[in-house]
Amino acid sequence: MRTGRDNLPAFMNPAIFISSTVLVGLLFAFQEWISLRHMGYHMAALIFFESWGFQFLVWGTLCWVLWRFLGDWIESATVKAVLTIFLPLSIGMSLAQQMLYVFIFHNLPLNHAEMTYWQRLSVYVYAELLDNILIFWCAFALFRGIGYYRRFREQEQAKAGLEIQLANAQLAALRMQLNPHFLFNAMNSISSLMRSDVDAADTMLEQLSCLLRLSLERGESQLVSLREEFEFVELYLGMQGQRYAGRVRQSVYCDPELYDALVPSMLLQPIVENAYVHGIAKIESDSTLAIEMRRDGNRLRICVTNSGIGLKPRSNARSGVGLRNIESRLKLHYGTDATFEIAELDQRNVKVSIVLPLQYLTEEEASLTRLGAR
Amino acid sequence: MIRALLADDEVLARQKLRQLLKNVSDVEIVGECSTASETIELVQLTDPQLLFLDIRMSDMNGFDVLERLSADGDRPLPHVIFVTANDRYAVRAFEIHAIDYLLKPFTPERLQMAVERVREQLVKGEPAQIASPKQQSGEQYTTRMVFKSRGRILFLSVDDIRWIEAQENYVRICTGKDSHLLRETIGSLESRLDPNSFLRVHRSAIVNLHYVKEVKNESDGDATVVLKSGEQVPMSRSYRAKIQKSLKLH
Repeated sequence: MRTGRDNLPAFMNPAIFISSTVLVGLLFAFQEWISLRHMGYHMAALIFFESWGFQFLVWGTLCWVLWRFLGDWIESATVKAVLTIFLPLSIGMSLAQQMLYVFIFHNLPLNHAEMTYWQRLSVYVYAELLDNILIFWCAFALFRGIGYYRRFREQEQAKAGLEIQLANAQLAALRMQLNPHFLFNAMNSISSLMRSDVDAADTMLEQLSCLLRLSLERGESQLVSLREEFEFVELYLGMQGQRYAGRVRQSVYCDPELYDALVPSMLLQPIVENAYVHGIAKIESDSTLAIEMRRDGNRLRICVTNSGIGLKPRSNARSGVGLRNIESRLKLHYGTDATFEIAELDQRNVKVSIVLPLQYLTEEEASLTRLGAR
Repeated sequence: MIRALLADDEVLARQKLRQLLKNVSDVEIVGECSTASETIELVQLTDPQLLFLDIRMSDMNGFDVLERLSADGDRPLPHVIFVTANDRYAVRAFEIHAIDYLLKPFTPERLQMAVERVREQLVKGEPAQIASPKQQSGEQYTTRMVFKSRGRILFLSVDDIRWIEAQENYVRICTGKDSHLLRETIGSLESRLDPNSFLRVHRSAIVNLHYVKEVKNESDGDATVVLKSGEQVPMSRSYRAKIQKSLKLH
């Protein structure tokens, strides 16, 4: 069984292979004819081209057939197999080729009509057997080379495929549907509200359901439109707004031309959650949270700014699992094309900035994802 | 009094509706059913004006129930509010002229909204209609729209739209307390809205004339449309003559 046919060089197509060997034969014929003319012999050109062309046609065909049926074997043959099988085969094939050649061209060598078939054959075997064996081994070396080339290509492809698989697996692991921590905290809030404020518990449960619905709807897709992403965050903000009962001024701005820009799914929620848990939750008074999504040339810049207690001195700000996760996902999706930064603006304000290459949802994808107004 | 029937195969789901409807003074529950066949029977028996209908029930689904009832003929059909955990059937429900589509769990306010729509229909005296998706009503202009916004299904009556703003490939539909982003062009929306109510005042804005308070002239020759709610919508010169004519009509 031949595998990886795609990796075969084009010249192994039988028509191309055999016609190029014939061409080589004709070149030899031309060369011999010219050199004989130089030496003063004048002979009909036809017989040269006929005999050389025929010889190489036979060789081309034989070699192609050899490759077709023994190619795999040639590619993997051990030294022992080369000596015990291919060496006798080379001699046998060369002899057979010459027998056919002498049989077809019965007026060769020229001007020796009196010679019998066997006499003529012995002349040719004496003069050309080694050349013929050499042709066989040239072809053998070529086929070995093709084998190495093919294996090399297959390995390259397997490696690339593996890399893609690995990246996908990593992305799948990193793409959280919803942080379970958030989910259980929300349920706990609802459970608590059930005793004190049934209506608020009801509202919160409804909001949580909407979040879950959106999250389930996205399924496995890694990239979503920015509009879907901030719609999700708006819902999340609505819920947090209720938990923090008006203590937080929230604002979300997205440049309308970016609604269809593609971003990794669940990019914003962990950042906003982080802002609440590590910033806003720590202070009592008025706090702010601002999300801005703007275009910056051919890049998309997302900034989340929140007030709070600033970054804690000496603690590595990037140690949050959620944020580290975002960094890894950005790296897997965009390599070095995306940046993620977290910085303290002043004593109280922290700003997270993400810059991504700008890619847009295609028209077909957009029509697939919408429920559509009618 | 609006006579209402509850159909849901889960007892707790019916209990929730019953408790919430207690606070709605003009709704009277005339019966509860837990299967589709029971629902058909009870509708025929009690002749309700409003049916809260679950979609997935053990024996048949909600759409089958409605088909049976409309095949039944002469008696008037109830108005239908679907109550379901599944958002997949929203478009179908919309197409057969259901009044609303409540996604479980829903809030009391959302239920109020749905009941309010039923009241409007009853005041108008319009009989409930169950259309098969293919026999669309012959109206020239859209009277309501279905879409999904922030994880919720909305059957929005166009009368509730105050103004519409184009934003690149999207339109923002503003309805007073809320706004919704749809992937739609303002031109295609304009062509489906009744020009007697909706007026294009700008390349990127349509206003509902019922919500317009005045047109304010700016010093540079442009103008602003001021809505009753105080919102201001820019108006371009080329559309100005048109709006003044339309406003005189109102």
